[in-house]
Amino acid sequence: MHWGILIVVYPYITGLVAGAFILASLERVFNVKEIMPTYRLSLLTALSFLLIAPLPLLLHLGHPERFYEIMITPHLQSAMAMFGFVYVWYLMMVLILEIWFEYRQDLVVLAREESGLKKYFYYLLTLGSLDLSEKSLQFDKKAVGFITILGIPSAFILHGYVGFIFGSIKANPWWSSVLIPIVFLFSAIVSGIALMVLIYGISTLLRGKSINMPCMDKLATYLLNALIIDLSLETLDFIHRVYESVESIHIMGQMISQKLFISLIVVQLMLGTLLPIVLIVVTKTFNVPAELRRLVYFMAAIFVQIGIFSTRWNVVIGGQLFSKSLRGLTNYKMELLGIEGLLISIGLLILPVVILIVMIKILPPWKEDIGAAS
Amino acid sequence: MKTIAHLWNALPGPDQVKRLVIIFALLLSCWFALRQRLVPKTFGDAGHYRLTAIDSIEAQPVSYLGQSVCVECHDDVSDLKSASYHRDLSCEICHGPGAMHLEDPETYQLRPPKGRGLCTICHAYNPSRPTGFPQIDPMQHNPLEPCNNCHDPHDPTPPSTPEECGACHGEIARTKAISHHAGLNCVYCHETPDEHKHNPRAAIPHKPANRQFCGACHGENANSGREIPRIDLESHGGSNLCWECHYPHYPEAY
Repeated sequence: MHWGILIVVYPYITGLVAGAFILASLERVFNVKEIMPTYRLSLLTALSFLLIAPLPLLLHLGHPERFYEIMITPHLQSAMAMFGFVYVWYLMMVLILEIWFEYRQDLVVLAREESGLKKYFYYLLTLGSLDLSEKSLQFDKKAVGFITILGIPSAFILHGYVGFIFGSIKANPWWSSVLIPIVFLFSAIVSGIALMVLIYGISTLLRGKSINMPCMDKLATYLLNALIIDLSLETLDFIHRVYESVESIHIMGQMISQKLFISLIVVQLMLGTLLPIVLIVVTKTFNVPAELRRLVYFMAAIFVQIGIFSTRWNVVIGGQLFSKSLRGLTNYKMELLGIEGLLISIGLLILPVVILIVMIKILPPWKEDIGAAS
Repeated sequence: MKTIAHLWNALPGPDQVKRLVIIFALLLSCWFALRQRLVPKTFGDAGHYRLTAIDSIEAQPVSYLGQSVCVECHDDVSDLKSASYHRDLSCEICHGPGAMHLEDPETYQLRPPKGRGLCTICHAYNPSRPTGFPQIDPMQHNPLEPCNNCHDPHDPTPPSTPEECGACHGEIARTKAISHHAGLNCVYCHETPDEHKHNPRAAIPHKPANRQFCGACHGENANSGREIPRIDLESHGGSNLCWECHYPHYPEAY
């Protein structure tokens, strides 16, 4: 099989990036005050995961040491090379700029308060822009707003592009669908919100602070809405395929009922979509105490993460499990230790968390005046 | 120093943007400088690749010769092979690269690998291969026996004609064996010319061409066992042939 688990990890990570960023932009563009405590954390999470996003591709292609060649000799007519442009745009013009404007005031304060090497380090990060006048801070705020508005379509393009790559492969009936980029996008939003529920919850508990429940409730509402849209789109895609009943429908049915039964029906649909929907709906309907609510949201977020990883698996691996002549099903044997193996993939999923921890140390996302404990 | 500060302030735009523009300008300059250094000189001269790559590839030692060179000495084998099903396979696919052998035939002998690994690359059962292409299940077809003990790779037609259809159509035979049609011989439904055993693709077995054939057992008034499912041939399935909807090798499936 040509595309293995590394290519499963790739859309999973880019989905988390796009989802976390879209969540962050809700606060800025749509002025959702409740989720303010997750704003900076979402930006740092998006950046940490974005830095790792190209690694699965580079490792899969072989010769990762030639990574710079896509940047110096890009092939302008290659759909694959578009990832390079989208990536650079999103990294340099959206995330880094937004984080810099958002943190500039704090960086200046840190550069003044810290001593030794740290002082110079923060001074370097301010780029020497030390002006904290009202006018200057007002401009920072405007810049963040502008970049966020620019960032939403960019985040859509980043993950919609990944969906496009699969959806445009017309020879593969499992992938070839105009709905795939949209489905990818909404599953990205689902996974991003669920990730932020986990990261916000765990980081707050580790800091010994109490969790801001209005924030968690709002996140859960968004997660529920996104899950319902995602499920509706997937169902629409499914009904469309069944109604069209082109010649591939038999082998698709065979694949869903045999090879993908556990990962698609059990994990993706039941555990990763329906169960979190039921959990959140029940919690919202009945007067559940805050502690139990928090626990249920955590569980729902974990199930969603497992479900979305399974979604990526079903798309990438599922699309290669049947023969191109639609005659029968094949197998995927995952390596354990190889460069395209399980351990490398687990490493790639842990690495962004390590980067996030380092970033949180350098750029503390918590302002004491926000996120007042409930 | 004061002049620089004065000039800096005279530039339009907020302070932050001016600094960012400088950083981005520096990054872009680095990118251009790196591009100048890293992109090979002849890149893009004739397409999206380094033109001199062709010279470096040309300079690599030749390993494969092509079939026409082998034929010059081994015409007897070539004659045999060119009349067989393997006529389109080049010698070096099985025997490996022959350039060294040409230089010194005594020292560098070309022997294809023994065992079953090489042949099963093409002949192990795989559902995506064309129907009629000879395929075996390596676990069931004379396990552990090297293929060339029975088959001559230069003329791979089986030494004796298989008696059972399942020797070639194993997948179908195994499916049928667990179906309600297990008791029916293949030739009961497939009228098979003798020639099919020697030249499978030139003489293809027939399939039932009308509905009455299945109706002989499954029709309402058929003279067959009471446990056999019955249908009304007039009203059931329109004008379709039975096997267009029911898979005869596993009729329970539909």
